[in-house]
Amino acid sequence: MSEREDRQTMDSALQRAMGSRFSRRTVLKGAGMGAAGFSLAAFMAACGGDGGGEGEGGASTGPAEVFSGEPGDTVEFANWPLYLDQAKDKDGNVFHPTLKLFKDETGIDVNYEPVIQSNEEFFGKLRPELQAGTQDDWDIIVITNGRQFNVLTANEWVYQLDPSLRPNFDSNATSFAKDPTYDEGNKYSMAWQGGFTSIAYDTTKVNGEITKLDDLANPDKVGQNSVFMLKSDMPDFVMINLGIDPATSGPEEWKEAAAWLQMQKESGTVRAYGAQEYIDEFVAGNTNATMAWSGDVLYYKVWLGYSDFEFIFPEGGALLWQDNMLVPVGAPNAPGAAQVMDWYFDPKIATMVTEWVLYLSPVKGVQERILKDGDGAVEDGYKGYATKLYNTANNEFAFPNEELLGQTQFGANVTTDEAAGEWDNIFLPISQG
Amino acid sequence: MASEGATLGEQEPARGRGGWEARRRRVPYWLMLPAAIFLLILLVIPLFILVYTSLQSGGVFSGDFAFTWNFSNYTDQLGQYQEQMLRSVVYAGLTTLLALLLAYPMTYWIAFYGGRWKTSILLLILLPFFVSFVIRTVQWRFLLGDQGLIFGPLKDLGLLPDSFRVLATPLAVIAGMTYNYLPFTALPLYVALERIDERLVEAAKDLYSSRYEAFRHVVWPLSLPGVFAAFLLTFVPATGDYVNASVLGGTNTTMIGNIIQEKFLQELNYPEAAALSVILMIVMLILASIYAKVLGTEDSALAAGATGA
Repeated sequence: MSEREDRQTMDSALQRAMGSRFSRRTVLKGAGMGAAGFSLAAFMAACGGDGGGEGEGGASTGPAEVFSGEPGDTVEFANWPLYLDQAKDKDGNVFHPTLKLFKDETGIDVNYEPVIQSNEEFFGKLRPELQAGTQDDWDIIVITNGRQFNVLTANEWVYQLDPSLRPNFDSNATSFAKDPTYDEGNKYSMAWQGGFTSIAYDTTKVNGEITKLDDLANPDKVGQNSVFMLKSDMPDFVMINLGIDPATSGPEEWKEAAAWLQMQKESGTVRAYGAQEYIDEFVAGNTNATMAWSGDVLYYKVWLGYSDFEFIFPEGGALLWQDNMLVPVGAPNAPGAAQVMDWYFDPKIATMVTEWVLYLSPVKGVQERILKDGDGAVEDGYKGYATKLYNTANNEFAFPNEELLGQTQFGANVTTDEAAGEWDNIFLPISQG
Repeated sequence: MASEGATLGEQEPARGRGGWEARRRRVPYWLMLPAAIFLLILLVIPLFILVYTSLQSGGVFSGDFAFTWNFSNYTDQLGQYQEQMLRSVVYAGLTTLLALLLAYPMTYWIAFYGGRWKTSILLLILLPFFVSFVIRTVQWRFLLGDQGLIFGPLKDLGLLPDSFRVLATPLAVIAGMTYNYLPFTALPLYVALERIDERLVEAAKDLYSSRYEAFRHVVWPLSLPGVFAAFLLTFVPATGDYVNASVLGGTNTTMIGNIIQEKFLQELNYPEAAALSVILMIVMLILASIYAKVLGTEDSALAAGATGA
């Protein structure tokens, strides 16, 4: 395929991908519906919990042993839907250009399956196997930093990575992708893509500008019953805005954040506590202001022309999150997995991914490359495509500068059952009232 | 069974006939076998696991849950979630009542006046339910949106105040549940009403009863088994429902099903989720038993008596 043809397919792919920015998180509105389906399995696993420590044996083999040796022929890669570059060949078959290049270079086939619809659901399915030590389906899984991630690492249900096998990562990973608070020294994980949780509002419906967290609790500013709160992100987001670093927070700080949330609830501004459905509510005009994931709002604002939508960081800052690649214990091809993971920290490869998925890239040098591709597109006469590339590259939330990044923090690290119980007891009564 | 067969065999000279008799008696058990195995695997064993899990302690971070007769899972939950439990029962009760009020006249009409179109009309009632439960509920969000298809134009015309909303209120949750559970109410009602012999109504009228009296003393009592079944089939699943509250609800509309779901998927606290499920099940059983006691319909004549016929 010539470069031009390639670009054309990328163009349409890009447009499709834009639709994916929110669908990745909204595609399974009823993700919870899966609960009934796998509850039995999870119960069985919970039941077998008494003697279920076998699975942990695998992790104790240590990184060097697991990742040494010849890689197998295929790598099984579980990821979220529409989260990897995609193109069509001449016969109309969909393929992933970055994986094709990987195969050309290493001879390893990657079986890429977009099967993860939510951290909770995927973890729920995998946990019984990990606990029983029978997991052998996946070599790479992608999980957001948070409780499921911490459970995986605390139980050593994922392998410790071999730091000597990631030269690209060492040279090209961004500051936030390296040594994140939830995985010091990237012992277990390497970021896939990331994003911000902050505030979006409709400028025509809000009285003035929203500049600080307290505005979300001010009915004169945002109206009654008109703010949507993201249940799982709100504790961290509020803490950050109260000047608390979630990474070092404890129950006292959690209570402070809960008190703010309670105050907000009593102010009457909150319409609902929920998850991905927030974007539908916002677009439908049911909410005036909302907690939001950067990509969703930018997609509507920049690409669909919803010019009244504004996505901002309040004075106190915003929450940073990352989806991370992990190698689950029992992975049949850990050496192959390590190669794939490092492959995506090659700026050329990372650029191909970002031009398609448009999330926050964990790789340095992507912005420059996208701008260069934009110039190339102009030269070739693909103005529309060039504009899209420029818009992407110049978006501060897609390529944040150090100042913007300085306003963000990762969420709290709950890593014990006691802390998890306390966290839930403090925060859940607010949304579950 | 075998010894009975043997006894028969001794009494009757023709042993073959006794063997046949014994086999014949076993037939019902054989017929029950598939259902029994089905229930054993899909009801009894999971139920056992559920109760077993509910008495465990431990957590996901330590990796292990151990069976410790941890009854505090029950006592803690009972105290903590009374409000949501009560709310679920109230929402489900109202849903059931509304569904009955909607479905009764509808199925009455189909049963008595549907003629040869009965089946087709019944199919029409069921038609929307060929679409996925979640999709139907999500569509309600579009319909009932503050600026949606229904309220948008009404607000534009000034017929409704701008602040008016149905979404994210208890009304939306109850309305959504009523819609989603309507077939569970309509079908048993239809079956009961369809069986009623119209000549009984004519006889009542011949005996100088008014239309209302004929309904009250003949149709209503005879339809009670249907009402009873419809109530249970609607009320029980509605109480444990969590989709409607999470899709259509707002603040303070959380139902017990949502709590169980969150405990299971987000908190990863399987023992407490299991304990709460068992509590919900027991509450349902108690309510259903009370209901059965008050409105038991094993004998519809008795039911008729209860209404003063």
